[in-house]
Amino acid sequence: MNLIPSLANPLAWGLLGLIPVGIVLLYFLKLKRESVEVPSTYLWSKTIEDLHVNSLIQRLRRNLLLLLQLLAVAVAIIALLRPGMQGETTGQGRTVFLLDTSASMQAIDDGETVNRFEKSKQLILARIDSMSDTDTAMLITFSDRPETVQSFTTDRVRLRNSLKRIEVTNHTTDILGALKAADGLANPRRSSDITDVNDFQVADAKPADLLIYSDGGFPTVTEFSLGNLKTEIISMGSPIVNNLAITAFSTERNTEQPTEVQAFATISNFGSQSVATTATLSMNGEFLDAEAIEIEAGDQTGLSFTIETDEAASLAITLDHKDDLDIDNTAYTGLSPLRNVSVLVVTAGNTPLSVGLQTEKTSKICSPTFVTPSYLQTDEYALRASSGSDDLIIYDGCAPTVMPATNTFFIAALPPAKSSTLREIAPADASAEPVTAQESATTPTSPASDGANDIRGWKWSTEKSSVNLIDIERMHPLMRYLELFSLLIFSGRGIEGPPGTVELVGADIGSVLSIAPRDGFQDLVLGFDIISRDEEGNPQTNTNWYAERSWPVFLFNVLRYLAGAANASGAPSYRPGETVRLRLENSVHAPQVSCNDGPPKTVTPSPSGVIEIVDTEIPGNYLIENNSQLTDRFAVNLFSSRESSIAAVKEIDIGYESVASTTGGVDQRIEYWRWALITMLGLIAAEWWVYSRRVA
Amino acid sequence: MNTTRTDQLLSPALLAKLERMELVSRKVFRGRMKGERKSKRKGQSVEFHDFRNYVPGDDLRLIDWNLYARLDQLFLKLFQEEEDLHFYAMIDASESMNFGNPTKLHVAKQLAAALGYVGLCRADRVSVQALGPPGRHAPVLRGRASLWKMLNYLDEVDSGHNVSLYDGVKDFSNRNSGTGVAVLISDLMDKNGYETALRMLIGRQMDVFVMHVLSPEEIDPPLRGDRRLIDIEDGDAAEVTINTYVLQKYQETVKSFIGSVKTFCAKRSIVYLPVRTETPVETIVTKYLRERGVVR
Repeated sequence: MNLIPSLANPLAWGLLGLIPVGIVLLYFLKLKRESVEVPSTYLWSKTIEDLHVNSLIQRLRRNLLLLLQLLAVAVAIIALLRPGMQGETTGQGRTVFLLDTSASMQAIDDGETVNRFEKSKQLILARIDSMSDTDTAMLITFSDRPETVQSFTTDRVRLRNSLKRIEVTNHTTDILGALKAADGLANPRRSSDITDVNDFQVADAKPADLLIYSDGGFPTVTEFSLGNLKTEIISMGSPIVNNLAITAFSTERNTEQPTEVQAFATISNFGSQSVATTATLSMNGEFLDAEAIEIEAGDQTGLSFTIETDEAASLAITLDHKDDLDIDNTAYTGLSPLRNVSVLVVTAGNTPLSVGLQTEKTSKICSPTFVTPSYLQTDEYALRASSGSDDLIIYDGCAPTVMPATNTFFIAALPPAKSSTLREIAPADASAEPVTAQESATTPTSPASDGANDIRGWKWSTEKSSVNLIDIERMHPLMRYLELFSLLIFSGRGIEGPPGTVELVGADIGSVLSIAPRDGFQDLVLGFDIISRDEEGNPQTNTNWYAERSWPVFLFNVLRYLAGAANASGAPSYRPGETVRLRLENSVHAPQVSCNDGPPKTVTPSPSGVIEIVDTEIPGNYLIENNSQLTDRFAVNLFSSRESSIAAVKEIDIGYESVASTTGGVDQRIEYWRWALITMLGLIAAEWWVYSRRVA
Repeated sequence: MNTTRTDQLLSPALLAKLERMELVSRKVFRGRMKGERKSKRKGQSVEFHDFRNYVPGDDLRLIDWNLYARLDQLFLKLFQEEEDLHFYAMIDASESMNFGNPTKLHVAKQLAAALGYVGLCRADRVSVQALGPPGRHAPVLRGRASLWKMLNYLDEVDSGHNVSLYDGVKDFSNRNSGTGVAVLISDLMDKNGYETALRMLIGRQMDVFVMHVLSPEEIDPPLRGDRRLIDIEDGDAAEVTINTYVLQKYQETVKSFIGSVKTFCAKRSIVYLPVRTETPVETIVTKYLRERGVVR
């Protein structure tokens, strides 16, 4: 404990002691005595004879004015030297401040005017102010990632400026990285293998005080040893809190009724008392629905809302309850728009297919490209098929030798026997001869369709014959709204798919429309032609389906669910601060990202159409638009039970040690200079009073 | 008649009171002339003193014939002689006496005049004089009519004759060989001391009275702060920072000084009479001096 740090040097004390002596000398040198005539100095001489024995002391004695002046000057000097008393600090001289900047630090506890983060900054600032000139300190923040804001320094001004720059985030908490950053100098590691006897630890350990300003909310740290770090947890906040949080919010389209969307929310009460309030759901900023909730302390409840919409929409749910933490009182989600899918149609000529893919409605979501079967032999196709740039490839009466990396729709053709994708096969293999429908139709025992050789592949189950439909899987999205029993099919073949195949349309000859999964993709196979060819190659109608209303509806379903134009689930949700990667359509070159109707920012996609959005700090609905048309969307929500559980922790386990938290009591340096200054002013006032009294 | 001067020193009312007073001498002295005082001489007063044997040549009128008839021896009947009393009033006229309001010198003059007038009224031989440089003449007065001479003399007395108390008394002794009542009116603030002067008077077989005149400003000086005190007699300077402590010390010194004078006088049968200048001279003479037995 050093009362006056500036006077640690004895020389300074000596110089200080000379000041009053100088003042006394000046006092007597400048003294001008008033001459007074007295009848005799006889008695005065006798009086001051005693005083002359030790003249200087006697002159000083009882000289109240001088004493007061000396006292005032002494007190002023002491005040200028900034006396103070240091609290009971650890005294290691090295301090590492770990400041929690996670979302939970935004909580404003009952009775407080500032949030926990600002209060932590105030406490750290007080610590910095109480540092002596030789103390060194380091400043690290941590949320879901650590950041060394200020490395070790003795400069208190730099520490204060660094502290001022820190801002609270909406992130979750992970302290491990920050602990490792603080660990460096205190617990130096060996540079190589610890079993190497020739390798010595070259750096000396520099013990430090580790002060963690946090409210907890991070998982127990097991893989860390404090070592030379003398740790103190300054627990922010109180154990009794009031916080209601939305911990989950999502939407789901009803697969049976695509226009019906269900929104699900989970509300948890992390407070100490039961809460009754309402949750308000809004869509595109307008009130949609509300529901009353009552949750006991520590309990949670679920809410579901049913919405009728087939368009893209921004949804937000808000708790009408004022609590300690605001960020988890509102959650966002969205309904993805119908995508504009890219479809490659390989056909020798199929008017019904062409017409069906270019109706007014399908053209909104589909960009078809028509090529002839010879295109399958080109390198351009090989690259296109392997990159998966198309959402769907329709093989009309033909088949590739290797399956592409996307969903497929085979019409009167079978996928190649080895159902591996181009991703797994060298591009050179793509130059193999394509299998035409004629070949696959006339040579059912060919190796490509030989079920004996590959029992897991597709194969014809029957020869060509007339087809009478028997059964339709109405529940499948592809078959929705279809009425097919009036179809006339002149010639068709039954098909058998690999394991996992779902029969969509059954006929007397077996399955004529089946869908099967393949490495994450789906293959749809139709067992009959729409347009067949005669021996001269002239097109002939094989069915009247193209004349039915179900034909464009079927194609629309194919585009929506097989090409992926309609996403059955809501927009994905990310945590604040996470980097969001999205793959956009190739036609989008300069998408713009906006959040909660904020100003849009243009991002540049990579050559493969992937964009990375890093500015996701603010919770909300994020829209990616291209030419004012919604391309994609996602939501950013906290959705962290740890962050929402804002009750201050009493103890934190770090490694093998359990560190008890303190209440934030700061060993602040107690300053006395103000009192000294007041005393000096009092002395001057007293001196003036004495002087005035004597003069009067 | 100088009324103004009389009013300055002695008021008519005081003069009337003084006429009824009488100086008291604790000793019996031999006078020079016939007076109203008992004398050591045997004389012709009505007061019987003693008998003695007749020797040839004695006045036969003094023989007590009644004794001769009874004892058949001649005895002379002796009577007490009545002579005048010599009264000396010495005024310290040094510069230090010119201090205070009224000044100590003025008060001393008043006291000397009052006592001198009492003596004049009683047909005593009165000599009032200032202790000044040698050779200064002071009249010897007798009779009530000499009041004006005395006042004239006192009127001429002023301060500034800074002779030491010893030199002044010595000069007085050389000029006046007789004995009698001697009243020294002084502030006794002589840096050479007052003791030798008083011893000289005692040695002259005088009935000595010391009237120690002090002003209130001397007993409790109204001085504070850093002062340079200048002695108005010799110009001696004393630098002193006057505060409560120093003032208290000074007052203790004054008390000690008065006490030492009082002790010195008591040991030598000198009547010590402290006088403060703020006290009216009427009060001093009619009450204070009467109580102390100086007059009656």
